Amino acid sequence: MTATPQASAPASRQTDWMGDAMQKRIARRYAAERRFKFLGLAAVALSSLFLAFLLVVMIGNGAKGFVTTEATLTIDLPAATGSISPDQLTEPRLAATMASIDVRRIFDQAVQAQYGDDGARYFASTAWTALRNQLVENPNLVMGKTSFWLPTSSDIDRAAKDRSTPEAERDYAALTKAGEVRQSFNMQFLTGSDGTDPARVGIWGALKGSLITMVVTLFLAFPVGVLAAVYLEEYAPKNRFTDLIEVSINNLAAVPSIIFGLLGLAVFLQFLSMPRSAALVGGLTLALMTMPVIVIAARNAIKAVPPSIREAAMGVGASPIQVVFHHVLPLAIPGIMTGTIIGMARALGETAPLLMIGMRAFTTTPPDGLTDPATVLPVQIFLWSDEVNRGFVEKTSAAIIVLLVFLLTMNAIAVYLRNRFETRW
Amino acid sequence: MLDNLASATTKPKMSARDVRVFYGPKEAIKGVSIDIDMDNVVAFIGPSGCGKSTFLRTLNRMNDTIPIARVEGDITLDGENIYSSSMDVVQLRARVGMVFQKPNPFPKSIYDNVAYGPRIHGLAPNKAELDQIVENSLVRAGLWNEVKDRLQDSGTALSGGQQQRLCIARAIAVDPEVILMDEPCSALDPIATAKIEELIHELRGRYAIVIVTHNMQQAARVSQKTAFFHLGTMVEYGDTSDIFTNPREERTRDYITGRYG
Repeated sequence: MTATPQASAPASRQTDWMGDAMQKRIARRYAAERRFKFLGLAAVALSSLFLAFLLVVMIGNGAKGFVTTEATLTIDLPAATGSISPDQLTEPRLAATMASIDVRRIFDQAVQAQYGDDGARYFASTAWTALRNQLVENPNLVMGKTSFWLPTSSDIDRAAKDRSTPEAERDYAALTKAGEVRQSFNMQFLTGSDGTDPARVGIWGALKGSLITMVVTLFLAFPVGVLAAVYLEEYAPKNRFTDLIEVSINNLAAVPSIIFGLLGLAVFLQFLSMPRSAALVGGLTLALMTMPVIVIAARNAIKAVPPSIREAAMGVGASPIQVVFHHVLPLAIPGIMTGTIIGMARALGETAPLLMIGMRAFTTTPPDGLTDPATVLPVQIFLWSDEVNRGFVEKTSAAIIVLLVFLLTMNAIAVYLRNRFETRW
Repeated sequence: MLDNLASATTKPKMSARDVRVFYGPKEAIKGVSIDIDMDNVVAFIGPSGCGKSTFLRTLNRMNDTIPIARVEGDITLDGENIYSSSMDVVQLRARVGMVFQKPNPFPKSIYDNVAYGPRIHGLAPNKAELDQIVENSLVRAGLWNEVKDRLQDSGTALSGGQQQRLCIARAIAVDPEVILMDEPCSALDPIATAKIEELIHELRGRYAIVIVTHNMQQAARVSQKTAFFHLGTMVEYGDTSDIFTNPREERTRDYITGRYG
């Protein structure tokens, strides 16, 4: 009903949909589409190739690290120990018995008897500790003559798996011929700690160190990060000061990790005099590094919660804190978890900042608490990769496999939890 | 216009006097005065951007969440100024419930949607009473028969019209005194719309109801009083029958006959 006169449109040309120019244009468009599809496919193929290469190489090398070569050693224990009874090897009297019978001497004598004067070259220098452990595990063995399977020297171990020195190859051939050698699963690798003898080192110490460090990191970074994000999104006034905080947090997430190591060194070790090499300090340092990642992810997740849900909750009289905890956070949790997974995975693989706070310590026992000297998986890998002894090569690869399995397990748990939260609605 | 206010025989449930709302420097509501009583459904009509939704949201302080919004003037609920510091905004929003343009059930079960308000306000001392409140609210919202066998299903799985009635049930579960409806049917089809309108008829008298609508036929159908908003001012407020058949203002007549808007 408006009376405004319509501006007369210029006489329009009919579009020639079937003309050559238009057909060419269509063909070009399809070509561009095909090109893009091909490039995308090529990118996916390339990354799959890298991943496959990594897995094949790692598993190929690392699998050997889980296998140990053992040679048999027969010992007439009643004769060697002077007929001790099994209950002398159980707890209250164990220490006294071990002091009186010299397991190392028994081992040396048995080796000499069975393999000759230089028979010791067949066995790992720490093989006698394996003998002691087997005795403690099964005290009844002292009652008779028993064949023990004990770890071989790392030269023979490598001869069994790959290639070694000519002497070791010869020894291995001789042992094989006599049926005195076997390969078995290396429990020591999963239960032991760092050491000097690659045949006897284990990953458990570093794994436990990583576990404790991650727990400290998670329990610090997650609540602080989420609370900071909630405050910044829901309560903080929007002004220059909060803008500055936002920019700082974004920058913090991009700071190289070694800087956090220096920060940890200066603050936790020098200023607060916390113990060096401790999982507690490692966890605190990694928490500093992980927090900004969690804050950013949590803020984005909170921002993505539809305002209609907030309005609905406020409309029935929910207080701001009820709106946040009953509605916003439950909907934001999947996003927050994704950010946390990324941050924790980064923290788990971090080496540099931990070197700064002394977590490269040589620790032969697993840490028992937050303040015990500890190392973590990536640092252990770094240390082993630096070892001169060739036997550490496969241990390094095996440790990488353990790290990857740890990472995948951690992520799988997080993804499972995230999906549970998601499907609850 | 003020004569009309003064002539109200019963004491109004809510009244606004010279309310102005600013978004930063922009004045979105330019001095609106209105009385809302328990017996009549009040409809706010007007073209888009005229401020009717903004004004509606001042009535339960939903505008508080917009940092740049500022409200001047007096709005009272039972004679008490809702913008005074002694008014608890959380309680106010329970007393003045709201139904939004787009159905916005919580992503929870139907039961939890309705039970949420009573839970946070502690209205039900035990499970049995909470069940009763949920049932009553759903019955009053005309949804009970459709959902009574699947109360644990997600509220978001319902159809649009059912979701909106669920939102109404959620609002009445806290036993409010006033219900504000911001274009509650604009996202619904005609059948769902008819059900909501029927529901508004049934709720009238028990709650004071204010409804914002773009649909003038709807205003004519559901309301007893109508206010026409234009460019941030309330042009005319009166009985719905008068507004639609015999408006006093030229602008009102132009709008309801479709000359602009």
